[in-house]
Amino acid sequence: MEHPVTPNEARAALDTVDRGRRHVIDEIDLPRWYWFGLALGWIALGVITDLHHPWLTAAATLMFGAVHSTVAPRVVDGRHRSHRVSVRRELTGRQTARLVLGGVVALGFVTVGGSLALNADGANHPVTVTSVFVAVIIVLGGPQLLAAVRRRVARDVDADA
Amino acid sequence: MTQPRFDELIHPSTRLSLVALLAAADWAEFAFIREQLDLSDSALSKQLSTLEEAGYVEIERPVRDRRRRVRARLTPTGRAAFAGHVAALRQIVAAADSEQALV
Repeated sequence: MEHPVTPNEARAALDTVDRGRRHVIDEIDLPRWYWFGLALGWIALGVITDLHHPWLTAAATLMFGAVHSTVAPRVVDGRHRSHRVSVRRELTGRQTARLVLGGVVALGFVTVGGSLALNADGANHPVTVTSVFVAVIIVLGGPQLLAAVRRRVARDVDADA
Repeated sequence: MTQPRFDELIHPSTRLSLVALLAAADWAEFAFIREQLDLSDSALSKQLSTLEEAGYVEIERPVRDRRRRVRARLTPTGRAAFAGHVAALRQIVAAADSEQALV
């Protein structure tokens, strides 16, 4: 069969397609304010917990959960880092949101475990100290998590090609 | 399964990059595409007009932050044409690879 282009030209065209897609894959991310907001909220919750007013801790936890559940659905899929492009859902799948929300839950357990350990050790303000530690993980680890998602999406696109 | 169909309109390199970028997005703003593909305003406008005339691209002008933005999205026809073109390119490469394997 006569082809309209040579195999080498077809390969070069597929490389062009790959590069075109990668411009969008590179945009898969969460807005920076999400990580900083989450970290600040975490520290605030830790400080409030160390005040030892159960009703205040409960109210703050509820408020934190309410604010997060309002904000998170808009950003955790990683498709809207900027207003300049909307990444297609098929590219990110649901994995990004699951990873981010799973990470938040895991850090919740780290906070509780760390606080209990520090408290048992007799530390002052154990929840605040643990929350600051977790906040650092959020700010430094969050973007790394999304970088891993971008690498995974790029790999999937390569495997599909 | 996508039917391979070589598309002469999409195939030129700049247009292929543009359509591949749009295929990975729901929509993209004009400025974003221009920066990513390193094109001039006029070059990008020309490419988008060609694709719009073919029914492959839709141009929208939403208002955000009190400024009118221009953004482009692939139409279902454009998506189908792109998928068919990529399938045709893969078919050409696969045919060449299998011929080489037989040699």
